[in-house]
Amino acid sequence: MELLLSNLAHGFGVALSLQNISFALLGALIGTAIGVLPGIGPVATISLLLPITFGLPATTAIIMLAGIYYGAQYGGSTTAILLNLPGEVSSVVTTLEGYKMARNGRAGAALATAALGSFFAGSIATILVAASGPLLTQIALSFGPADYFSLMLLGLIIACVLAQGSILKAIGMVVFGVALGLVGTDVQTGQQRFTFGIPELSDGIGFVPIAMGMFGIAEIILNLERPESRSVLKTTVGSLWLTKEEFKRATPSVLRGTVLGSALGILPGGGASLAAFGSYMMERKMSKGRDMFGQGAIEGVAGPEAANNAAAQTSFIPLLTLGIPSNAVMALMVGALIIQGIQPGPRMVEAQPDLFWGLIASMWIGNAMLLVINLPMIGMWVKLLQVPYKYLYPSILVFCCIGVYSLNNNVFDVYMTILFTVFGYLCAKLKMEPAPLLIGFVLGPMMEEHLRRAMLLSRGDALVFLQRPISATMLGIAAFALALMLLPNVRKGKDKALTE
Amino acid sequence: VEFRRVQEGGSMQIKINMKDLVSGLFLILLAVIGWYLNQDHNLGTARRMGPGYMPLMVFWIQMGLGILVTLAALFSGPDPTERWTGIDIGAFVGAIAVGWIVWRIAPMFGAFFAQTYNAVGLGIIAGFLVMAISPGWRVLAVICAAVALFGILLEKGGFFVALTATIVISAFADRGHRPLGVLLMTLFLLAMCWWVFINQLDIRVNIWPTS
Repeated sequence: MELLLSNLAHGFGVALSLQNISFALLGALIGTAIGVLPGIGPVATISLLLPITFGLPATTAIIMLAGIYYGAQYGGSTTAILLNLPGEVSSVVTTLEGYKMARNGRAGAALATAALGSFFAGSIATILVAASGPLLTQIALSFGPADYFSLMLLGLIIACVLAQGSILKAIGMVVFGVALGLVGTDVQTGQQRFTFGIPELSDGIGFVPIAMGMFGIAEIILNLERPESRSVLKTTVGSLWLTKEEFKRATPSVLRGTVLGSALGILPGGGASLAAFGSYMMERKMSKGRDMFGQGAIEGVAGPEAANNAAAQTSFIPLLTLGIPSNAVMALMVGALIIQGIQPGPRMVEAQPDLFWGLIASMWIGNAMLLVINLPMIGMWVKLLQVPYKYLYPSILVFCCIGVYSLNNNVFDVYMTILFTVFGYLCAKLKMEPAPLLIGFVLGPMMEEHLRRAMLLSRGDALVFLQRPISATMLGIAAFALALMLLPNVRKGKDKALTE
Repeated sequence: VEFRRVQEGGSMQIKINMKDLVSGLFLILLAVIGWYLNQDHNLGTARRMGPGYMPLMVFWIQMGLGILVTLAALFSGPDPTERWTGIDIGAFVGAIAVGWIVWRIAPMFGAFFAQTYNAVGLGIIAGFLVMAISPGWRVLAVICAAVALFGILLEKGGFFVALTATIVISAFADRGHRPLGVLLMTLFLLAMCWWVFINQLDIRVNIWPTS
C-alpha cells in the first residue's frame, strides 16, 4: 500500500510536469473534438497523430494518445444526447435514452450525468489500473514463451468472439492480419519474406499506413457515400444541474456501470463500446427506472457512460502489464511504444516507471480536465458540431497524408495507405471487421517469436502448450469461448446485444 | 418432382449470403497467393522453425477458414452484395488497364518518373481518374487519386503545391462544394497545416517547388 502511494506520488510528479500536463490537455481536447464529431473515431485519430509523437518523449506521447481515447468517450455522448447521433461507437446506446431526455428538455441534465458518471468511473478505474498493474506484472514475469503464445491466442480468439457479425470472418481477418505482420525480414535468419524485393518492406508493412488507410481514409469514403443525415440542432442545453431525484436514480447506475465497465475493459477484445452495450442491457433489466426506458430514463445514460469510460481506462491493464493489446486502440498504443523503442511487456513497469505511473496519474488528471472541458465549455462543442462534413473531410485527408509521409519521409508509405484504403473499403462492403485484422497484425510477429522459442525449448514437442498449466488454462478458455459461440442461442444473444 | 426441384432451387438461391461468399473466396484467394509466395522459404523443423514454418501454418488456417466461411455462406443469407452496373465494370477494368500501362510507360516521359515510386504514383492517379468516370466508384476513386497526387507532388512540388492539389481534388468527392467555399477552405487548411507541421513540428519537407 505504501509502495503504491509512493509510486503514485512519483507518477503525479511525472504527470504534473508542464510538458506532460499540456499534452494531456491537448489529448483530452482532441479526444473530445473527435468524440463530438461523428465520422472520425479514436483509432483513426491516434494513427493520424502517431507520426507526430515521434519527436516527443515516450511518456508524453503515450499520455497524449491515452487522453484522446478516453476524451473521445466524453465527447461522444454530447453528440448522442443533442443530435441522436453517436459521435463514437461506444455512445450508440446513449442516443436511446439521452436524446429522449433532451427532447424532454433535460439535455443539460443528461450531459451532466454523462460527464459526472464518466469522471467517477474513470477515477475508480484508474485506481484499479494502479493497483492491479504491479500485481499482474508479477504473475506475468513467470510466463514462459508457451504461456505467452497461448495468452495471445486467447486474446485473438476473444477479440473475434466479441466482434460484430460473423465470428468465422473475424477470425479470418485476424489470421490475415497475422500474415501481414509476417512480411519483412525474418528476425532469426534474416531472410526476406513476402517483400517482392521492395526495400521499404524489409522492415515489415508499416503499422500507420494500415491503420490510416483502413480506419481513416476508408471511413471518409464510406461517410461520403452515405447521404448526410445530420439533423440541425433544435434542442437547447438548459440547466446542467441534476434534480435530487435524478441524482438518486443515476447514482446506482453509475456504480453498476463502473464495475461492469472495469471488468469488460480488461477482457481481451473488450473495450468501451462493449461495456456501454453491456451496461445498457443491465440497466434495462435491473434498474428501478426500467419502466421508464424509452421515455428518457436517466439510468440509460448514467450506466453506459460510466461503463464506457471505465472500460477505456482498464483496457490499458493488459497492455501495460502483459504487453497485449485488447482492442484496436491498444494495438495502436503498442505501435506508439515500439516507435519509441519500448517493447511493451511485463518488464515495462520496472524498466519504465515514469511511463507506467506517469500515465496512470495523467489519466486521473485528464479525467478531471475533461470534466471542465465538457461541462462549462459545452457551447463550444455544440458550435463544432455545426461544421459541415464537406469541410471536415479534406482536413482529415491532408492530415493523414502529411502524417503518413512524415513517419519515414518516404512516399512509399503514401501509396501503401492507398492500397489499404481500397482494402478497407472492400472489407466494409463485405462486412469484414477491420479491428481484428489490426490486432492480429500487431500480435503476429510476437506470436511467431514465442512459438519458435517455446518449440525450441520443448525440443519440438507441441504438447508443451497443454502441459504448462497457465498455457493450458488459456487454451481451455479460448476453446470454451469458441464453443460457446457455436451455440445458436448464445450467438443470437450476442448479436442482439451488439446491434441494438 | 420437376416443380419441387425448381422451388428448392429458388429458395436455395435466396439463402446464399453473397457478402460472406465473396469474403470466403477472398480469404481463400489471399491464402493461396501467400502459400505460393511462401514456397521460397525454408520450413525447418518443428523444433527449429525456419522462416517458412509460421507462414505456412497461417495460410493453411486461413484457407480452412475461407472454406468454412464460403460453405456457411450458402445457408446464412440472403445478404446480396451491391450490384455493379455496366459502367462500374467498364471503369474498373479500364482503370486497371490504364493504370498498368501508365505505370510501365511513365519512365519514358522524363527522368522524374524514373525515380523512386513516381511511376507507380502516376499509374495510381491515372487508374483512379478512369475509375472516377463511373458514379458508383466516384468517391473512392477521387479520394484515392487525391492522396496519390500528394505522394507524387510532395518532394518535387513542395508542401504547399501538394496540399493544394490534394484539397482541391478531394473536394470533387462531395457534390455540395462550391468554388468559393473550396478556395476559402484551401487557404484555411494551408495556413493550419503550415502552422502545425512546419512551424510547430518542423517536419523535414520541401516547402516550395524545387527545380
